[in-house]
Amino acid sequence: MAELSNALGTAASRTRFVGLRRLVRRLPPTAKVGAAILLFWIVTVLTIHFWPVADPLAMVGRRLQPPSGDHWLGTDALGRDVFSRTLHGSVWSIPIAIVVVAFAVAIGSALGAVAGFFGGWWDAVIMRLVDVTVSFPPILLAMAVAAMLGPGLANASIAMVIVWWPIYARLMRAQVLEVREREHVEAAVAGGAGRVRVLVVHVLPLCWTPTLINATMDFGQVVLLAASLSFIGLGATPPSPEWGSMISEGATRFYNWWIAFGPGMAILSVVLATSFLGDGLRDAFDRRAG
Amino acid sequence: MKHFRLKKGLTALLLAGAAFNAAPVAAQNSDTLVIARSMDVNSLDPARAFCDTCQFYLTAVYETLVTLDADNKTLKPNLAESWDVNENFTEFTFHLKDATFADGSPVEASDVVWTFERLKNLKASPSFLMDGLTSAEAVDAKTVKFTVDAPNSEFLNKVSAPYTGIINAEVAEANGAIAGDTAAEADKSEPWFLANSAGSGPFMLASYSPEAELRLARNDSYWGTEPAFSEVVVTQIQDAVSQAQALETGQVDIAMQIDPDTAQSIRSGDVTTEVVPSYNFLYIGFIPGAKDMADVLTPEVRQALALAIDYDGMLDFTVGGNGAKQAAPIPNGFPGTAGLTPRAQDIEKAKQMLADAGQSDLKLVAGYPNDNVYGVDFNIMMQKVQQDFAAVGVELELKPLTWAVWRDELGAGEWPVTAIYYAPDYYGSGQYVAYFGMIDGFPWTNRASLGKGELVVNPAEADLYAKALASSGAASEEAYTEIGQAMMDDAIILPLVSPNLVLAYRNDIEGVRYSACCNLPLAEISRK
Repeated sequence: MAELSNALGTAASRTRFVGLRRLVRRLPPTAKVGAAILLFWIVTVLTIHFWPVADPLAMVGRRLQPPSGDHWLGTDALGRDVFSRTLHGSVWSIPIAIVVVAFAVAIGSALGAVAGFFGGWWDAVIMRLVDVTVSFPPILLAMAVAAMLGPGLANASIAMVIVWWPIYARLMRAQVLEVREREHVEAAVAGGAGRVRVLVVHVLPLCWTPTLINATMDFGQVVLLAASLSFIGLGATPPSPEWGSMISEGATRFYNWWIAFGPGMAILSVVLATSFLGDGLRDAFDRRAG
Repeated sequence: MKHFRLKKGLTALLLAGAAFNAAPVAAQNSDTLVIARSMDVNSLDPARAFCDTCQFYLTAVYETLVTLDADNKTLKPNLAESWDVNENFTEFTFHLKDATFADGSPVEASDVVWTFERLKNLKASPSFLMDGLTSAEAVDAKTVKFTVDAPNSEFLNKVSAPYTGIINAEVAEANGAIAGDTAAEADKSEPWFLANSAGSGPFMLASYSPEAELRLARNDSYWGTEPAFSEVVVTQIQDAVSQAQALETGQVDIAMQIDPDTAQSIRSGDVTTEVVPSYNFLYIGFIPGAKDMADVLTPEVRQALALAIDYDGMLDFTVGGNGAKQAAPIPNGFPGTAGLTPRAQDIEKAKQMLADAGQSDLKLVAGYPNDNVYGVDFNIMMQKVQQDFAAVGVELELKPLTWAVWRDELGAGEWPVTAIYYAPDYYGSGQYVAYFGMIDGFPWTNRASLGKGELVVNPAEADLYAKALASSGAASEEAYTEIGQAMMDDAIILPLVSPNLVLAYRNDIEGVRYSACCNLPLAEISRK
């Protein structure tokens, strides 16, 4: 919740935690479910090595066994435990989503803020770049970049940052355009503050809400796109138990439905969770604003 | 943005379901044979085509001089009713039957000469079949004589390959085909061959739409026995599961690419499945010429790695046991293979050899096409290799690649290990030596050495190969056995599995078989 409190931390640090508590209280039940699911996956990522589950890379049983007491989600074509692989898959997907969203937010917001605040030549160049990038379908652009860089999750992550930053640039620019006209900003400018200082101290702290909501929702989308890239062979390389590559292994063996079921449900849970949480956060912020 | 989130969230699951997109074709009780297949057509011109789909298409539309009998060993007459071979296997004379092309004109010696010269001069993928051909002459209208530059006891087998199917020279020439020395540049007939055919076979090309459908119509003026179906439709269905479903629902009569695992899950009583051994195999290849590998991938290290592989486990994991181990890169059942014993795993020896070679913490990279061929998923196969190598302390990093990237990186020596597959073009072991032999200038020698021939060339193989081609029968087989042993000792090519093939068809279909030269002979199939 550190991110959240930072986001709310405008000037009054003492009201910060009061505001946070009020915000959590305002979240609808679905958002709390979403938060719980995300929390589960984050805890899983951090503690998976201590879990009493099978080695995700080792052959632990006969191949293609349906779910049973020993192997809750069955075994895959190499006799590996699908349940364990699904849990271990989070170690790839969740951190990647965090990194990609963080980079996309950082790059997109910085450029968007510059474009919105300084306007003119900066605005023209940055926003045209945004237009060019978003004019490609995201999956196609990500595929093209990933194909050019070669397979691997690092390259897939770079591809996804390239796809994602423009959204944040637009969001931040729109927000900055609005905030910079406010009186306190004019007052700061009139008081002789430098332009960069005005942007960082007086404008940006008021611009984070839409970005935060969007970032929450995008988290799930990044998990999904990363899985899609792995599905088509441009993301994770074997034998890593990445969800997309696991689904791809299962897709050619559809009668052995359990191979794709675990990772499919995992992706579904993350995407739903972030959708719920994002929706809830937006409603909560909206009500606060209104 | 947000309104689409939920729907998008489900796409992950639907991705897998997207496989189900079988084309709606009605099959049962009709005069049309419908076949499900993921087509790999590169061309429909006999001299340019080189693919598994091409094999059975060309067999149905063009006819070869000789063809392979159902025992997959014996050559039998096709367009040629008889043939003579001189004592040292350099001159081959064929006597033609009174056959006619689909347009009614007779098949003459001049057509045969034209076809073979064009095949040689086009310098396309199957042109290697004519390597060494020095002259082709029409002795008279029904007799044709070929001379090769060195003894070649396999020439007869070569002319059973579907790519040597005889083309109606007048018709093809009228549409831009050229047989002369300039053929490689001047021949502009490839598009014509995608829409038309000019053969003497029981079927003619009706239409072809890439990635969708290949449609053959019966040649009503066929000189031989009339085929049972008036039409054959090969419909594009990508994967094994979708093919199996199309077969179960009766949308198709035959599914060509069902793997044994999928075959076991077919429950419909209307479908027959037969599992037969195939001559296809998948292998890993070592590339000592790759970057910084000259002093690493020495013969000893390669042999050690070959001993590290669990060949029995490989069979189980890749094809569920529905396949066979293979010793040398010559398929089981081909001349000379009876005397070869497949390798067995020996982890202790492998470790010892690696330690002796000073390679106790070896790290290698394997680049391979990310594909599923003959029911074997390369990713599964290579993860098994990765595990086996890990057991002897060798770390193998896997790089599944698209075909285009794989080809580029292979040529650039980006990685020292690769994996790929091979299927025969005709019955005969010589083609395997010509492809896998560590003989100067041969394809895999170039691939593995990347210009540093001294790393891999095995001089003994060239002599043995010449000996094999200059003899026939037992003497030739013995030479092939020795070459096979030499190739095993080279440890450049490690065959991992020869997958069984599933013949899957509706119960009312008969005559389905697997041919080593021609894949699926369409003209022999009928409905009960």
